[in-house]
Amino acid sequence: MNTALASEALIPALRLDQCRKGAHVRVTGLIAQPLFGTQDERVSLRLKELGFLPGAPLKVIGFGLLGSDPLAVQVNGTKFALRRAEAAKICVELVVVSTAL
Amino acid sequence: MSTPIRFALIGNPNCGKTSLFNRLTGARAKVANYPGVTVERRSGMVTGLTKPAELLDLPGTYSLFVTSPDEQVARDVILGKLAGERRPDLLIAVIDACNLRLGLRLVMELKSLNRPMILALNQMDEAKRRGISINTAALSQAIGIPIIETVAVNSQGVAELRTTLDGYAQQSATPAGEQTLTLSDRQESVEALYAEIESIISQHVIQPAHLPRWQDRLDSLVMHPLLGLVVLFSILLVIFQAVFAWASPVVDLIDAAFSGLGSVIGAILPDGILKDFLVDGLIAGVGGVLVFLPQIIILFFFILVLEDTGYLTRAAFLLDRPMRGLGLSGRSFIPLLSSFACAVPGIMATRTIADPRERFITIMVAPLMTCSARLPVYALIIAAFIPEQTVWGFFNLQGLTLFALYFAGVASAALIAWIMRRRTSGREEFPLLLELPTYRWPMAYHLLMGLRERAWIFIRRVGTIILALSIVLWFLATFPGAPADATLPAIDYSFAGQLGHFMQPLFAPLGFNWQMCIALIPAMGAREVAVSALATVYAVGEESIDVALGSALAASWSLPVAYAYLAWFVYAPQCISTIAVVKRETNSAKATTFFTIYLFALAYFAAWATYQIASAIVS
Ligand SMILES: Nc1nc2c(ncn2[C@@H]2O[C@H](COP(=O)(O)OP(=O)(O)OP(=O)(O)O)[C@@H](O)[C@H]2O)c(=O)[nH]1
Ligand SMILES: [Mg+2]
Repeated sequence: MNTALASEALIPALRLDQCRKGAHVRVTGLIAQPLFGTQDERVSLRLKELGFLPGAPLKVIGFGLLGSDPLAVQVNGTKFALRRAEAAKICVELVVVSTAL
Repeated sequence: MSTPIRFALIGNPNCGKTSLFNRLTGARAKVANYPGVTVERRSGMVTGLTKPAELLDLPGTYSLFVTSPDEQVARDVILGKLAGERRPDLLIAVIDACNLRLGLRLVMELKSLNRPMILALNQMDEAKRRGISINTAALSQAIGIPIIETVAVNSQGVAELRTTLDGYAQQSATPAGEQTLTLSDRQESVEALYAEIESIISQHVIQPAHLPRWQDRLDSLVMHPLLGLVVLFSILLVIFQAVFAWASPVVDLIDAAFSGLGSVIGAILPDGILKDFLVDGLIAGVGGVLVFLPQIIILFFFILVLEDTGYLTRAAFLLDRPMRGLGLSGRSFIPLLSSFACAVPGIMATRTIADPRERFITIMVAPLMTCSARLPVYALIIAAFIPEQTVWGFFNLQGLTLFALYFAGVASAALIAWIMRRRTSGREEFPLLLELPTYRWPMAYHLLMGLRERAWIFIRRVGTIILALSIVLWFLATFPGAPADATLPAIDYSFAGQLGHFMQPLFAPLGFNWQMCIALIPAMGAREVAVSALATVYAVGEESIDVALGSALAASWSLPVAYAYLAWFVYAPQCISTIAVVKRETNSAKATTFFTIYLFALAYFAAWATYQIASAIVS
């Protein structure tokens, strides 16, 4: 499927890995991640299957110790741990921000 | 003539498939609150039906487009692709009612296979508690599949499910050899599927926007980058303290009981071969191992509690980054943790790891996690050589030593994983994508069943393999008797004595005496037997019928030797079943050979270095 849905051309898209703890965001699209090499498509598919689809509301729950990696997000009431590499595939827009960003 | 009809449970990880399976078949398969508990297909007969029917429990999967070996098993069974396996006649899709979207998505995918299917909407109790209300009849209508609401943990709805299954059981099974299903390429996009699900859910389900507050609060503590680690290490330390400090009164009691039994029998029976056999062979050998039951129970109590609460995936989350530096990841955490119980299920659990390289490394280092079978060996030697003291206020010195031994295993695993990772570079990354299940209060029923199961396994091992090996060893240590002009103790002339003396030169650089060498051999069968072997060898060798093995060891081993023996057990004697499971899971003779040799070499080296260094320090 078409993975580069994000409207990269218009505004520099915010990615999930750039969000703060406690941020409420909405998915706008998935982009490619060269780190995953040939299986990038597969990772995109799995992310979508887990509910990381345009329009899905996310909440950033927390970060790991070193380099704030991995991060935990809540999507549709389910919590997932993602690495920054995966999170960088997910373009988002802010909905409500609990603290200053 | 008729093969029984075959049902299969399929659903997302952690939705309650195995709980239902246990309810329907009366089995006691492992249930725990983290995704990826079941990694194999398991079969049982459904009880209480008018016709026989087989039920399969499968690993959980999010999708038929699989990414890891356990998901692959689930898919292959559903599609009938497993060699020599008939595909199921009816699919029982299980959905966690608190996680409807994910579950329904898989169901939609399964629907496209056009197989008979019913849906078990599980965890209804939890859904109600959270204020999720589902119009089940309408939902069933909308997706065109019969739905039965269930609560697998208290069998609510299970009777109804059974009745429904009974209806299907009247039909005849699909004949074997029918062609397998092929999964067509994705026809519908995920987006379209989710749009459909979204519209169904908005019509028939009312969901509150938030998870329970306390869950989020707890998460912000245990997943906090710093406090979370403090919590993790505190939990580990408490476990080690408990295994030693809480168990010791009971251990002493059992020990006293066996010594008492030994002396009673010794007093009643006339001197002779029967008395020797009962006292030195049976009571010393079996009793020597059985005294460690309380420690094993305490260890498993903690493991079971952690598994049932949902904490384990949080620990995996915290440790993902540090473990990644070693070529592992948060996904290898649970397999490695399971290896503390036993390396065999730990190695099986690596099927949840998508990255083949990481899976290989995890398998290779899993046996370095101290399994519960090594606990008796450690405990025996620690109790004999380490004084029972309190240090820094409240730590028990013996407990700390045990912690150090476990730590040595973990640190070595880290080092070896790191070395193995260095040999491969520039490869693709694999995602983590780990679901963090909701916390649950550990269920007393699960705990009791789990503990009973573990106690049983241990007692059964003692009653079978350990008993048998003890008897064999007693014979080897007793016959042939000493010649008339013997100058050495009788046991030196026995088969065991001869074998021990034969092996001893090889282990002399490690400081092992011949009794220790003998114990290494049966320890390959089950590590605990090292203890009973030592007990038998020393009991036969001693003139008195006192079976206090600890004091016998303390009298005949020097401290460096005791340390070296411990070091040997940190690394080596992977039992035969571990080697067998490595062979099966890697499916490679080369990898298995490498695995066996490297661990033996490591054990030899570690024991040698320990002995040399400790001797230098002591003298
Ligand atoms: N409250 C509640 N908890 C449930 C119910 N069914 C299962 N559980 C719990 O959910 C967790 C997972 O159950 P399992 O039966 O191991 O789930 P599974 O689908 O076999 O999981 P995997 O083998 O990992 O795919 C356990 O902690 C169970 O106690 C239910 O109906 N209600
Ligand atoms: Mg299961």
